[in-house]
Amino acid sequence: MDTEYKEKEKEVNVSNRNSSFNCKELVFRLLALSLTLVAAVVLGVDKQTTTVSLTLVPSLPPVDLPVTAKWTDLSAFVYLVIVNAIACAYAAISLVLLLVTRGGNKLVSLILLMLDLMMVVLLFSAIGATGSVGLIGYQGNSHVQWEKVCNVFDKFCHQVAIAVFLSFAGSITYLLLILLAAVTLHNK
Amino acid sequence: MASHDTTTPPHATIEKPLKSSQLPQQYKGSWGPALDVALRMFLFATAIVAVIIMAASKQTKLISLFPGFAIPLEAKFTQSPAFIYAIAALSVACLYSIITGVLSVFALMKPGGSWTKLQFHFVILDALLLGIVAAATGGAGGVAYIGLKGNSHTNWNKVCDKFGSFCSHLAGSIVLSLVSSITLLLLVWLSVYVLSKKLARG
Repeated sequence: MDTEYKEKEKEVNVSNRNSSFNCKELVFRLLALSLTLVAAVVLGVDKQTTTVSLTLVPSLPPVDLPVTAKWTDLSAFVYLVIVNAIACAYAAISLVLLLVTRGGNKLVSLILLMLDLMMVVLLFSAIGATGSVGLIGYQGNSHVQWEKVCNVFDKFCHQVAIAVFLSFAGSITYLLLILLAAVTLHNK
Repeated sequence: MASHDTTTPPHATIEKPLKSSQLPQQYKGSWGPALDVALRMFLFATAIVAVIIMAASKQTKLISLFPGFAIPLEAKFTQSPAFIYAIAALSVACLYSIITGVLSVFALMKPGGSWTKLQFHFVILDALLLGIVAAATGGAGGVAYIGLKGNSHTNWNKVCDKFGSFCSHLAGSIVLSLVSSITLLLLVWLSVYVLSKKLARG
């Protein structure tokens, strides 16, 4: 009786582990979807208009010029938005595929794992690009006479920083998916 | 792999495993281990060449303000934090490829299937390093693109028309670091494939 109970407990544990691993992957993909979506939106609506007063001629009062900073001004930001959009779409597709196959199809799981890694590469490269360009905007670069921009466009720069952090969280989620797959393979 | 467990003959344990012809029976004829070591050596090669090219990219130009007076202007990789990070990340990749290459070869020499166990750890570590190198590639690429084209919206003027040799060195280094990240990607794909094949068989 005791051994029977122990066997049944083991069965339940194994089935729980299988379904809980499936659940964890679902949760991670949902998290990646939401994080990349919010990152793309936050950077995609980033626009700030301020007035800069220029003194053209010393005798006349300074002229107020409106200057606008949009996310399309820098190609690194455009790259980040595109990559986040791709990662979001992929998260949606992989979520659907996972729900349809319930983790049973080995080939689909393998392909999803390989594509997860591609998403990690794309997201990290976009974060690197936006981070370095944003750093130039924040600090300027005296050696090449590139002036800082973030003292004028502070709200714009804050939104860029938020988008970078969200993309970083999204890429960490994709890394966790790979870690999860490796741990699952190890335990089998 | 579990189906043909090797029972090594008694004299094999005293032999010193030196050549690849003395690989344990289970790895003979399988291309996975050879490809793994080859990719790691390739990663080492591309990473170290990228580091060397970027480090040797310094260019000095004499800008003459008025006749008889010239100031030297220098362009080197230390002027941008993105390039400093790129060199650091590629050096780490270089060191990592040596260490894991040696570990992989040692695990292959030992009979007993420890190489496939090592691949579990390699998947995670390779993926982490892939993220780091990809960020370095992206960062250096972003800054170099601005240096090449300039940016009219932020009034950042282009640099590459004055410092052509500096820019071509940087371009070579960035291309090589892209190749390194693709190599790391292939390494993780290979490890995942080998592990899934092991599961299918065993």
